[in-house]
Amino acid sequence: MELLEQISENLQKGRAKAVKELVQQAVDQGLSPEQILEEGLLSGMNVVGEKFKKNEVFVPEVLVAARAMNMGTQVLKPLLVQAGVQATGRVCIGTVKGDLHDIGKNLVKMMMEGKGLEVIDLGTDVAPEAFIKTAVEQHCQIICCSALLTTTMGVMGEVVKLAQEAGIRDQVKIMVGGAPVTESFAAQIGADKYTSDAASAADAAVAFCQALA
Amino acid sequence: MTHRERFIKTLRGEPIGGQVPTFELVFFLTMEAFGKVHPHHRKYEQWDQMSENERKLQIADMADVYIQTAQRYGHSAIHLHPNPGDLENTQRLLEEIRRRTGDQYFLTIDHDPTWAIPDGDHMMDFSVRMFEEPEALGDQSARRLEETLEIARKLDEWGHLLDGFCFCSDYCFNVNPFFSPDQFEEFIVPTLRDAIAGAHEMGYYVIKHTDGNIMPILPQIAACKPDALHSLDPQGGVSIPEVRKVIGDDICLIGNVNCGLLQTGTEEECRQDVLRALREGMEKGRGYVFATSNCAYTGLPLARYEVMIDLWRQYGSYDLGLPPQE
Repeated sequence: MELLEQISENLQKGRAKAVKELVQQAVDQGLSPEQILEEGLLSGMNVVGEKFKKNEVFVPEVLVAARAMNMGTQVLKPLLVQAGVQATGRVCIGTVKGDLHDIGKNLVKMMMEGKGLEVIDLGTDVAPEAFIKTAVEQHCQIICCSALLTTTMGVMGEVVKLAQEAGIRDQVKIMVGGAPVTESFAAQIGADKYTSDAASAADAAVAFCQALA
Repeated sequence: MTHRERFIKTLRGEPIGGQVPTFELVFFLTMEAFGKVHPHHRKYEQWDQMSENERKLQIADMADVYIQTAQRYGHSAIHLHPNPGDLENTQRLLEEIRRRTGDQYFLTIDHDPTWAIPDGDHMMDFSVRMFEEPEALGDQSARRLEETLEIARKLDEWGHLLDGFCFCSDYCFNVNPFFSPDQFEEFIVPTLRDAIAGAHEMGYYVIKHTDGNIMPILPQIAACKPDALHSLDPQGGVSIPEVRKVIGDDICLIGNVNCGLLQTGTEEECRQDVLRALREGMEKGRGYVFATSNCAYTGLPLARYEVMIDLWRQYGSYDLGLPPQE
């Protein structure tokens, strides 16, 4: 089996140690870091993401695949920087103020990283101002807000409002998600996108970044 | 019949006539309703320093909150969050409630030995362990099961004041379960099945709670033979008719009033949703407990909960037939 295919296969099975070794092997054989990333690691994560959307794999498989991907990217990171390879886009993500739930937010983060996006994780209980400040200072194309509670989802509307007031609304897409959030709620607060699962969120983020590029 | 007797008959799938029972797994709105902090939200850091008389008063006060909630909202069951949560204080709280209300209410606590969805900080480690250390995880499950059964045994020996357990480990997101059906079979089913069987042997009833889309693992949960399923989360796409299609009519169903809608919907949307839940729940003439699809959580407008209960009082009687489709 071709080396890049082996990386992808092992990543899909969550074999972190094997992925790290194979990535190193690929580097030693002179493959470009960009090719290893695209055709090995990201290709493997894409398969996992698609299977997740079809309920063919579940969260634990996604998590161990993401861990394997991280092990592989650790090897590649300095080489990617050296080669001037840019991430597909930059996202800041957080669970909104008053809400300490982080499972969904972490899953979306992993899926987005699996699509080659750079994700700045602001954690939980994040004030609207912090989303805007990070988006401005770090030149993020996307703000991604998560909420698990009906009592906190209203904060997402404040993020949209603050983005407008800060004059960055045409430069930043705002995505929302979480258990009580719906498409109609997203439309009501003026967010750009709601997705019901982490894999679809990652797909939408990539599409936004490509459109904004 | 007492509330407890009606609740037990409902868990057994027997017709009861009259008002369909109701209860909430948690009713956190006690400050607004009664001017009292919910027992679960109290911090008793100096519990051991308190005089026996003060501890007694604190337990009486917590019992009072639970009893007032059940009385005001017509609940047939009280789910306790003992605080402090050790076994001795759990027993004292049970004794206090039984002393004041006798066998009026069905009393439950949580001590679910099965794994829930881990939080964001632990879900990676947990998932890795599922793949790399399944035996160790299995051993840990066995220990958790033994702990639960030991608590059940002790409470049984101390007078069996508890009627049942509500196992509250959440397994599901809105979209799908955390565990695949195969993982659920390997890591959850053996513990859940043995915990339910062990509790049944001691004369306890078991309600299994989980939020989210339970449909992919519903047959597996049902095969573990709980007496009831809670909370039938419409936000996870769960509907009572669909659940009954999969598991039949002999496991009691609890919940299904859309919690999110209670908070964010219009009055009319909430009304329609409450009537729908009552209609679908009561359709078989037995085996349904009216409740929200999670709980009366902190931040839920009390007025909305009270509207829900008013509609239940008005339309939730088997004697009146099914609530109208407006």
